[in-house]
Amino acid sequence: MLSGGDKSGNQKKTEEQPQPDPEVVAEKPSEKPAETAPEKEAKSETPDEETKEAEKTEEPVESEKPVEKTTEAKEEKPQTKRSDSMTLLEGRDVETLTRSDITDDFKQAVIDAGAETVGICFQCGTCTGACPSGRRTPYRVRQLVRKALVGFKDELMADDNIWMCSTCYECQERCPRGIKIVDIVKIVRNYASQAGYMAKAHKMTGSFVIKTGHGVPINDATKALRKSVGLSELPPTTHEFPEALEEVQTILKTTKFDSLIGYNWESGELE
Amino acid sequence: MAFAYFLGCIMNNRYPGIEKATRIMFEKLDIELKDMEGASCCPAPGVFGSFDLTTQQSIAARNITIAEDMGMDVMTECNGCFGSLYETNHLLHEDEEQKEKINTILSEVDREYKGEVNVRHFAEILYNDVGLDTLQEAVTTPLNLNVAVHYGCHFLKPSAAIGIDDPMKPTILDELVEVTGAKSIDYKDKMMCCGAGGGLRSRDLDVTLDFTKEKLDNMTEAGVDAIINVCPFCHLQFDVGQTEVNKKYGTNYSIPVFHLAQLYGLAMGLSAEDLTVDAHQISTDPALAKLDVITGGE
Repeated sequence: MLSGGDKSGNQKKTEEQPQPDPEVVAEKPSEKPAETAPEKEAKSETPDEETKEAEKTEEPVESEKPVEKTTEAKEEKPQTKRSDSMTLLEGRDVETLTRSDITDDFKQAVIDAGAETVGICFQCGTCTGACPSGRRTPYRVRQLVRKALVGFKDELMADDNIWMCSTCYECQERCPRGIKIVDIVKIVRNYASQAGYMAKAHKMTGSFVIKTGHGVPINDATKALRKSVGLSELPPTTHEFPEALEEVQTILKTTKFDSLIGYNWESGELE
Repeated sequence: MAFAYFLGCIMNNRYPGIEKATRIMFEKLDIELKDMEGASCCPAPGVFGSFDLTTQQSIAARNITIAEDMGMDVMTECNGCFGSLYETNHLLHEDEEQKEKINTILSEVDREYKGEVNVRHFAEILYNDVGLDTLQEAVTTPLNLNVAVHYGCHFLKPSAAIGIDDPMKPTILDELVEVTGAKSIDYKDKMMCCGAGGGLRSRDLDVTLDFTKEKLDNMTEAGVDAIINVCPFCHLQFDVGQTEVNKKYGTNYSIPVFHLAQLYGLAMGLSAEDLTVDAHQISTDPALAKLDVITGGE
């Protein structure tokens, strides 16, 4: 019997909530709910979510047709009612990013981490157009690159959507500026991880590597299957060589990966 | 010819038939595969690359040093492992400063990354080093199958660093598949991702399955007998993921899934048991039955 096993844990929504570093999110307590709301909405929709989204936002305008009567209609309706139906503008005051949301050295930090090409993006959006994840989630690559460039660090860290990239490289292959977009995504995710935004399921995969050297460790069913075709029950990896596993563990301690994901060496569990 | 055989995780710990088929095939082709004793997870680029690039590069570099000690190029048959190992090898080659940083970490376990070996993908070795003619000669049981070739992402991309084939319109896998007698059927958005990578499968299964369903829809539309891949993670996504798609969407997809090594195994006359395809979640019987008809059901 084969299964996705450890990699396919059905994550509960609550587990996905990161444990934020208080310093990082203290300034924007309302950010998290505002960010997750559109994602949930989009998930329940079919792949042509963008079309529907567009229809939705155009609705208030369409209801006022024919066009010639627009002015008249506007005068008849109380101003507040119109604003109420402008979904695009709803809650805009609180969500508008301002200069105070900018982390000054973030662009440089992204560049220093290896994505020197971030600076030459001219925001054409080819990346978003090529993105298979953007076709079904609110993830927008162009926006991620822009936010990294401007320095909206905290905003990016708290955004669940940065985790919707499957690293398929379609954006990078088509970028007319030759920007290493996937590197930028990974660097942004590295910062988010440092700030505590890590999914439980991802931390579990990390803990499997700490415990066994494998992100997907062997199980009894596969042991039997290996034996049945004349392969060694355990593959000749860290599974068979305990001293090799110790090397891997030493490296993970040296890079502090263990404390990053909150691995407890005594209990063998995540904290 | 000899290679340091990097196993990874999903192939050896979930789909050992891919490993078995590869070992037998390479013996027939007279290419030595030497085990990389004590190798670990590549590590998984989605989780490790996203959490901490330094950790990802350190673990990948350690794996590469094992091949350096053996004096052989690395061979992997997983796109994820290939991506993780190749990119690290490439980066440490180019970036002296980063190489020093990683070597400081590796010195804790008395290892040093030197940059002396290449990281190679199984399919690319077959195409460039073995060659289609030799492969053709090894085929004993031509396969009368119409298949959907799934390239996956990290086999060819980022193409600027890898340069195996055109990432938009490649032919390497189609040519490799057709040597077995099978026909590669074109289908819509053939180069699209299966949805599993980048940590997406474990982070958000719903989104992942939405990718997979789109691929399955397009493959079904084209009318194929099987899906051929060169990555155990894509393989798992089409096998396990296909049952998950059926459950989630109430669909009834049943397209058999084979890694290229398993396809070659069939073409070289190996049994379904040896290839462990009888343990797949999606039954491979419809494809195997079609072969029986052609070969006269030995």
